[in-house]
Amino acid sequence: MQLTSKVHEASDIAAVQELYHSRGWTDGLPIVPPTAEAVEACLEWAMLPPEQLIGVEPVRERAVTAEKLAINAVMAGCLPMHFPVVVAAVTAMLQPEFLLHGATASTGGCAVLLVLNGPIRLELATDPTFNVLGASDRATMAIGRALRLVLINVLDVRPGGIDRSTLGHPGKISYCLAEDEDDSNWLSLAETRDIPKEISAVTVMTAGAPRQIMNEWTTEPKEILETFAAEIRANMRHYSIWPGNYAILVPKQLREHLDNAGWSKRDVAEFIFERARIHRHEWAEVGKGAVVRDRGDTVYPAMESPDQLLVIAAGGPAGGFGAVIPPWLGHKSHAVTMAIGACLDCGPPPA
Amino acid sequence: MTFRVLDPSSEVDTAQGQRAPRLASLEGKTIGFISNGKEGTKGFFGHLDRMLRQDFGAADVVLRVKSNYSAPADDPIVAELPRWDAVISGIGD
Repeated sequence: MQLTSKVHEASDIAAVQELYHSRGWTDGLPIVPPTAEAVEACLEWAMLPPEQLIGVEPVRERAVTAEKLAINAVMAGCLPMHFPVVVAAVTAMLQPEFLLHGATASTGGCAVLLVLNGPIRLELATDPTFNVLGASDRATMAIGRALRLVLINVLDVRPGGIDRSTLGHPGKISYCLAEDEDDSNWLSLAETRDIPKEISAVTVMTAGAPRQIMNEWTTEPKEILETFAAEIRANMRHYSIWPGNYAILVPKQLREHLDNAGWSKRDVAEFIFERARIHRHEWAEVGKGAVVRDRGDTVYPAMESPDQLLVIAAGGPAGGFGAVIPPWLGHKSHAVTMAIGACLDCGPPPA
Repeated sequence: MTFRVLDPSSEVDTAQGQRAPRLASLEGKTIGFISNGKEGTKGFFGHLDRMLRQDFGAADVVLRVKSNYSAPADDPIVAELPRWDAVISGIGD
């Protein structure tokens, strides 16, 4: 295997860390030294030649190759078996509808949320339960971090440079989770987005910080979901009115109430679609009266259709909690779901 | 133990554009604005329009607004650029 990246020498592990920090090649945390052996192991696992073009960032026309992804994945702590997820996620992020340059440059300071579905969740020993939005397991932490290092090093998305985030949020370190498919009767997120259950997939979304809710005082689906809808309405009042891909995380306790009442993900999405909307005049109640103008009675929905709500089963077994993850710029940047190591719409090879 | 480690950066030389020749004067020139369309651009570009015409003698000021404030300028706007003597692209956040 012929790697073409420049080779640097460092006298010991501490020198490696200082070299990479001094070049601006880290997120501030220590990295795993990306030796040729480690990088080749990732590429071999994914069966990708180093020069394989994963995609081209469309605004700055920056090519992204498999070799550069593998180097950054190793640095983030990825094992070779994690690498196909990184490849699929970056491929998804490079689709035009994701609007990667805008998302990574915006003052809005969003992160890239990754959701894993399918058999790979088990192969990688992900844990979609306790502390799912924190550091729940090795695979999701390393994969999420790999994406950030790719943005930093391959696309130069550094704070104060391309990255103009006013605040950012902790998800910009790593923001990856697996869905709890094995303890849920619902279709998986990927299945709702036309990926067969037996195919592993990753969904990427430009995402704000999670907003946690709690309602453990009812078993009534409409009351439970009204709390989620209210949190979305709060985001629309306090942050952005534009519709798009909101995500909600529904942990086990609340999910059981919904499931016992026979509510599918589609039922959940349709209810929240109807309830998560505000009048423009509500902005006047939160100090934004200057931009209400003569459109106060206009109603703004949080989503253009129920399909835009990403309903995700995840979280620990106890606690009437849930989370709303708002979009960055919902009407311009759309979530993308990509099969991992599979092509779903490929035709048979020519005879 | 010496570590031999790989460069994680793109290692691509970013194409550097060349600065256009500076205008000696704005007198009689056509100035284009490319606005991202955000709320703050309206007052900013409106004021700048008046300044350029009244104080600097610009012949014409053309305002174009991007369809997506987080994406590059739309192709029809870029196609207009050669007809302008100078361009001001503002963030206006």
